[in-house]
Amino acid sequence: MPDETIKQGLAKQGVSRRDFLKLSGLLAAAMGLHAAPVEASGLPVSLNAPASGYQEQAILHAIETKQRLPVIWLEFQDCTGCTEAVSRSVSPSLGNLVLNTLTIEYHETLSAAAGFQVEQAKKDAMEKYAGQYVLVVEGSIPTDNDGAYCVIGGRSAVDILKEAAAGAAAIIAVGNCAAYGGLPKAKPNPTGAKGVWELITDKAVVNISGCPAIPEATTGVIAHFAVFGTLPKLDKLNRPLTFYGKTVHDRCLRRPFYEAGKFALSFDDEGAREGYCLYKLGCKGPTTYNACATIKWDQGLSFPIQSGHPCLGCSEPNFWDGGGFYEGQSAPLDRPTITAVGAAIGAGAALGIGTALVNQSKKKAKKGES
Amino acid sequence: MSTTEKAMEAFVHETGGWVAAQLEACTRCGMCAEACHFYQATGNPEYAPVWKMELLRRAYEQRFTFVGGIKLSLGLDKPITDEDLAHWSDLNYEACTVCNKCSMVCPMGIDIGTLLHGMRAGLAAAGDVPADLAAAVTKQVNEGSPLGMTSSVWDQRLEWVADEWEVEIPRDVKDATTLVVFSSIEVMKFPANVAAIAKILNKAGEKWTVSSKAREIVNFGFYEGSEEHTKLFLNRVLDGAKDLNVKRIVVTECGHAYDALRWHAANWIPEASNFEVIHITGVLGELIGSGRIKIKPGFFNDGGKITFHDACKIQRKGGHIQEPRDILKVLAPDAFIEMTPNREESVCCGGGGGVIAVKAADPVRYASFELKIDQVNTVSAKTVAMTCSNCRLQFTDSVDHFKLDWKVAGLSQMVADALEE
Amino acid sequence: MSSQAVLEFARGPFFYFALLFMLFGLAYRLFSVISLGWSKDRVVPMGSKSKGVVVTFLKAFLIWPFIPWVKNTFNRNPLIYIGGGLFHLSLFVVVILGTPHMLVWKSLIGLGWPTLPLPVVDWMAAVGIIAMVILLINRRIHPVLKLISGPAEFFAWLFVFLPMITGYMMTHHIGGSYEALYARHMITVDVLMIWIPLSRISHFVFYFFSRAIHGQEFGKRGVAV
Repeated sequence: MPDETIKQGLAKQGVSRRDFLKLSGLLAAAMGLHAAPVEASGLPVSLNAPASGYQEQAILHAIETKQRLPVIWLEFQDCTGCTEAVSRSVSPSLGNLVLNTLTIEYHETLSAAAGFQVEQAKKDAMEKYAGQYVLVVEGSIPTDNDGAYCVIGGRSAVDILKEAAAGAAAIIAVGNCAAYGGLPKAKPNPTGAKGVWELITDKAVVNISGCPAIPEATTGVIAHFAVFGTLPKLDKLNRPLTFYGKTVHDRCLRRPFYEAGKFALSFDDEGAREGYCLYKLGCKGPTTYNACATIKWDQGLSFPIQSGHPCLGCSEPNFWDGGGFYEGQSAPLDRPTITAVGAAIGAGAALGIGTALVNQSKKKAKKGES
Repeated sequence: MSTTEKAMEAFVHETGGWVAAQLEACTRCGMCAEACHFYQATGNPEYAPVWKMELLRRAYEQRFTFVGGIKLSLGLDKPITDEDLAHWSDLNYEACTVCNKCSMVCPMGIDIGTLLHGMRAGLAAAGDVPADLAAAVTKQVNEGSPLGMTSSVWDQRLEWVADEWEVEIPRDVKDATTLVVFSSIEVMKFPANVAAIAKILNKAGEKWTVSSKAREIVNFGFYEGSEEHTKLFLNRVLDGAKDLNVKRIVVTECGHAYDALRWHAANWIPEASNFEVIHITGVLGELIGSGRIKIKPGFFNDGGKITFHDACKIQRKGGHIQEPRDILKVLAPDAFIEMTPNREESVCCGGGGGVIAVKAADPVRYASFELKIDQVNTVSAKTVAMTCSNCRLQFTDSVDHFKLDWKVAGLSQMVADALEE
Repeated sequence: MSSQAVLEFARGPFFYFALLFMLFGLAYRLFSVISLGWSKDRVVPMGSKSKGVVVTFLKAFLIWPFIPWVKNTFNRNPLIYIGGGLFHLSLFVVVILGTPHMLVWKSLIGLGWPTLPLPVVDWMAAVGIIAMVILLINRRIHPVLKLISGPAEFFAWLFVFLPMITGYMMTHHIGGSYEALYARHMITVDVLMIWIPLSRISHFVFYFFSRAIHGQEFGKRGVAV
């Protein structure tokens, strides 16, 4: 219930003071705040300051006093993968508890209610918590043909988004689709899909890109807003720097093999078995900003590159069109077809022969005169 | 038509795919400068071969290329002027022997010598030829020889040579196998060479003749670069050969004449390919190799060291590199010594390409000869043998000028002297 | 415009245009030369023309580059030999044997090959950059090069140098985010590709003509090339 503080909610569930302190530390770490315990961040312990610091105290204070945060979660052209990721976050002291600091007022997949009932609930929530709720968007928004490609309850996704955005205290686009258009926007983009920040320009939109977004990044940002009432520091693409500050390549465990020029050339060769760099198999790590290599997935179990698959660059805009997934990162994006090459050479040759003939006639004309 | 227009026309005429491809290949790296003996001797950057053919390149770019046309219309390149032609005339006729050494070092392998000949074609068309060279050409047009060797002078000289050296010189023999055409330099200045060649051919039992019609092999039109004059002089030789119905034409010790007749004539005058053209050096090699003449081994062993000067047109551009060496190794097995660089890499004498005929070129000609002096002195040779009387003229003149104590020898003469009776 | 968008432009449409423009321009240059008419050589050869051509190419690729000092002119101007030689060697190592570049070739022609470790390529790139700087200085002070160099030569130098220096900065992450560096590198590469047919950088096309002509001319006279 939004009216009780987060601490009250936690106490109701039997969370002790000691667990609560641990939670604060984890939250601080998840949000990438300085001087926080580090287990959750995946960074080496030695790089961090002692466990109890100023930031942790601030979180403690905030959780004790703040009310639970109402969230409206919209889904448009999506696969629900980001919801899956967040909901299946198996980190019990982080994911589940963070979800307990919120009240999710509307979520098509998670809500028990359906149809007009749930639409009414959303309408009520938007009125009740106008200017207070967090709007989370999952999936891209089609804009072609008046948004006819995604209609819910008889209204287009664009309308629904704009209505919900108007009263939102913060907008968070989760997943590459909501952030930058994702798969629906891939060429030839038949629905005119767009990311949230292309449509909502009067408010800051936090982009938690990824396919799916790393759940700890999603929960971390929501927690940040819940605790501080502000959005974290963002990069140029509106991604929280905490999670998107470094490239996958820069933190990759296979990086030494890149430097040494040792590459896997196929998925089943000796190089692949030896765990060599996947750059030649099309890894997009060098231009992909995400925390995969540090936070990893499933409680820090692994991430694609560790498991032997090159990075697809899923946290970057247009990653579907950013060159073939299994093609070198340095390869050009647009390659002329053999016809285009032939046409260019043919045109050049024809023009060249023409010029030469004109020049030859110049020669002959002059010879004739003299 | 203005002179610049005439020059442009000639440049354009010279520029087919063969020339254009090479002009396009030039990267302007400047390496060719280091090969040029005139640049080496003077350090004057304008003597860089790439710079000497600048006008040919500009003419090509301005008239034939898209980028060149744009540059000209934007004022980034200037039209070729009379002053340009006069300036490049000096560079090309005074400081270039068309020796083609530059082609040996060009990383792109551009045949710079031939392109520089194309430069001369343009300059000649515009009339920008040094006065003394132009006068020599006129003399050859009118009298048949730049050295004034008219029909009667030729007659008297050969008569005198035959008497003096007691050697038979068959004249105007129809259906002879070989027509020998001497250069006026030999007839007028090195008559012993004429006698020597006559002696060798007689000894070998060759059916040979000289022709009163084809009496001058020297081709000042080729120096000048004028196709018209070059063809005129070539035709005189070819007509003589046709009249006498010979099989082959032997070019005596004259470099550029050999270049013109052997390596270019067939492309200007198709009938030229009816005759086998060979340099006397090739004939000597052939006669000695087949045993038709015998030379005394070690004949020149005792007169101090002998070195061999490779002529640009006979060795590097002519291909007769090995024969002289084979002969000298027999004649002077102990005394013969090679200079470095030698063979196709040899340093030019500095007097070829008509340079020696241009008075204004004297300072650079002598300066460049100092390179030769260094080369010869390094191996402390007392005799320098060669197969080109143009080189020989430059050597004898420079030996006088620098007061050197070398002997300058023609290879034919050495062979004649060492003939086994 | 974000670096990512610039990069996408430089790797995408701009690259596409530059590549086609380069091919178009080179075809134009090539055909405007080879269609200019080649007169038949009627001179009876003394040696073999084709042998001359084969030998000169073999020497030019396999012998002279590795023993330049046997050339007499080397001693007179070693800088231009060493500088020019190292530049071309660096170009070969970086553009052909560097992993990211090999992947470009692979994506374009569908053929890949083993590459060299990054430090080797990186050092060679540094060598190439230093060689370029030395060659530029040489061009500014050598009397012959000063005389024969105009704006075209310096533009060509600049447009070749920029991809080299931006590529080096990109490898070392100097001067911006990776995409910004990558974008800069790609833009300079695209500009270079456009400049190639407009300048003497296209010498690599005509090299095969002039070298073959050299082989023919010397081969036909039976003289070593």
